[in-house]
Amino acid sequence: MFRNILIALLYLVAATGTITLIKPEESFAFSNQVIERGAFGDDVIELQARLQYLGFYHGKIDGKFGYGTYWALRNFQESYGLKVDGIAGAETKRVLANNSDFDREWVHAQINAGREFTYYGGIPLDQQVKKGKAGSSGSKSYQLPSKFTEQDLQLMANAVYGEARGEPYEGQVAVAAVILNRLESPDFPNTISEIIFQPGAFTAVADGQIWLTPNERAKQAVLDAMSGWDPSENALYYFNPNTATSKWIWSRPQIKQIGQHIFCY
Amino acid sequence: MKSLVYLLSIAVLALGLYAYDVRSDNQQLKKEIHAQYTNSLSNASEKLSYLQRSVAQSLLFQDEKALQNELDNIWRTSNELRTSISNLPLNPDVANQWLRYIGKIGDEAKRASTNGDYESWQKKMTVVHNNLEQLTNEWSLATAHFYENDGDFEKWKQVAKTDLEESPFKNLASNLKTYSEKDFPLTTSESDWLKKRDLKHIRDREITKDEAIQVLEKLVPGIKDATYTVSKSKEDAPYPFYHIQFVKGSRVGYADITVKGGHLISFLSERPVQPDRNITQEKVKELTKQFIERAGYDDLEIIEMRENHEAWHVHLARVAGKHNALVYPDGIQLKVSKDSGELLGLNAMEYVQRENINDNQPVVPIDWKKFFRPNTVVEEERFIYTENEAYQLRLCYEVIARFEDDINQTYRVVVDTENHDVLKVEQLP
Repeated sequence: MFRNILIALLYLVAATGTITLIKPEESFAFSNQVIERGAFGDDVIELQARLQYLGFYHGKIDGKFGYGTYWALRNFQESYGLKVDGIAGAETKRVLANNSDFDREWVHAQINAGREFTYYGGIPLDQQVKKGKAGSSGSKSYQLPSKFTEQDLQLMANAVYGEARGEPYEGQVAVAAVILNRLESPDFPNTISEIIFQPGAFTAVADGQIWLTPNERAKQAVLDAMSGWDPSENALYYFNPNTATSKWIWSRPQIKQIGQHIFCY
Repeated sequence: MKSLVYLLSIAVLALGLYAYDVRSDNQQLKKEIHAQYTNSLSNASEKLSYLQRSVAQSLLFQDEKALQNELDNIWRTSNELRTSISNLPLNPDVANQWLRYIGKIGDEAKRASTNGDYESWQKKMTVVHNNLEQLTNEWSLATAHFYENDGDFEKWKQVAKTDLEESPFKNLASNLKTYSEKDFPLTTSESDWLKKRDLKHIRDREITKDEAIQVLEKLVPGIKDATYTVSKSKEDAPYPFYHIQFVKGSRVGYADITVKGGHLISFLSERPVQPDRNITQEKVKELTKQFIERAGYDDLEIIEMRENHEAWHVHLARVAGKHNALVYPDGIQLKVSKDSGELLGLNAMEYVQRENINDNQPVVPIDWKKFFRPNTVVEEERFIYTENEAYQLRLCYEVIARFEDDINQTYRVVVDTENHDVLKVEQLP
């Protein structure tokens, strides 16, 4: 009898222990990876939402781990007696998950619908969605170097797609790099928009192909150019030798040919 | 037969009406563009006169306040004039030369306003003022027929197409080129910058095409045994390089490798990337370190990582000098796939261009509590080298600061360690 009671007690202790050990796991919704500045995606969305739930983060929940998220995370770590490093490791994520709530389905639904919303704890969710027309739903968001905006990316992707959609990827990055090289040059206007719409500068503007919807490949090409790649090797112009009629463009010093385009100074 | 004639008549009439409608629309569009171009031209001409007057007026004063006012006017007007000129369908040579000349005047005004060297400004502008007057007259002469009240849009279409030799802008273009070179000659630092950009310092031995492929395969072993197409840069290229295009399985890409010394300056590989993320940020850091070790880039530090849908972009900068400062212009960028950690891109152009740093630049301490307003928190501070507007490499403090009451407003402030000039302020995402 005593033995049975002892075994039952041992089972109970073991079960309780297991529950205690499992409990944080149950509320643990992040993936296993360590999240830090520069990260992007679902884990960052959850991190931002949970930090906002607790009142540490007041920025947009967009899945981009920038400085706003970084300072909020540090403040959270300081308040909860954790190591203050702005990195969401296992311990930080565990404490965060145990002290906050995250309605993944609801948050992702708002993001996918392009709605403006917040996720503070203690306020009904339906009161946290901004009334009015939603933004562009389904459009992908990107992390860009700080000197560029998503509008720059969109406009340049339109130009690259209109000008070079039939070209190899290298040629598309090169066209984007030419636009950025002009931005650095004293011979051209000061903004991406002025450069693209300078009369006669790009064929795609003249024939209206700039208004076609760019594909993901054109956006990736612009992203690579914005991140520093320049397959044109500092070119300021390019032309198709089979169709170019301007004598002037043939007078420019040439650098290299990619696909149908010759790139030059 | 009668019905056929009847139907044909209706079709011809409908076609005629449609053609008339299209023609009317086109005429309307032409009128609107004609009006826009004329408006930009008028704006440009007005701003040019205003700029010329302001430059002249700036030569009147010794009084600092009066002079500062004119310098501000000049800087603002030069920017507005550049915008007006860039909205006109001019011959590219004319537009480029104008934008450069006007921009240089604005840059000089900004520089004088910042450093207070008014004597140098007035000395330079005594010449520029006369040349600008002449250019203004030539501009008026060249553009006179655009103001003729004939509503003829065709003249705008012809401006960019007409050969410069036969264009009314011929004299203007020629004078702009001459005055640009004389009035704003390249400074030593600008000239050095161009030499660096053109890789003039590389004196290494020339390599062959096969050696170039070996360099590529050593740095990026993943593409070993790809199918290569190698061509050489065009004759006018400022530095000769091999342009290697490769195909391996689903990978298509290129690499540019200098003929002198075989330095890889650019590499990109395109392949379908699986949407699942299998590689953690820590793993990307580890792979980056492994790569730079293999490549022998032993003086680099990661300064920024950015994750996107398919890949990570990793930015590194050289660490140099007694201050262990980050040399931002000597950077390397890597692109690493999220699905497997494969190196998809390398940009080492700036690293190959490599700067000479001045380790002896004085470091005058700054009290950040006095430099920033009380509600600004300085979170990080380190030494960096970066270029100022005159393309001089300067040792600077790089400060990451934020507002105390708003954590979403973080700024990067770059301050020269010697003269405390603020070289850059940018809001960080």
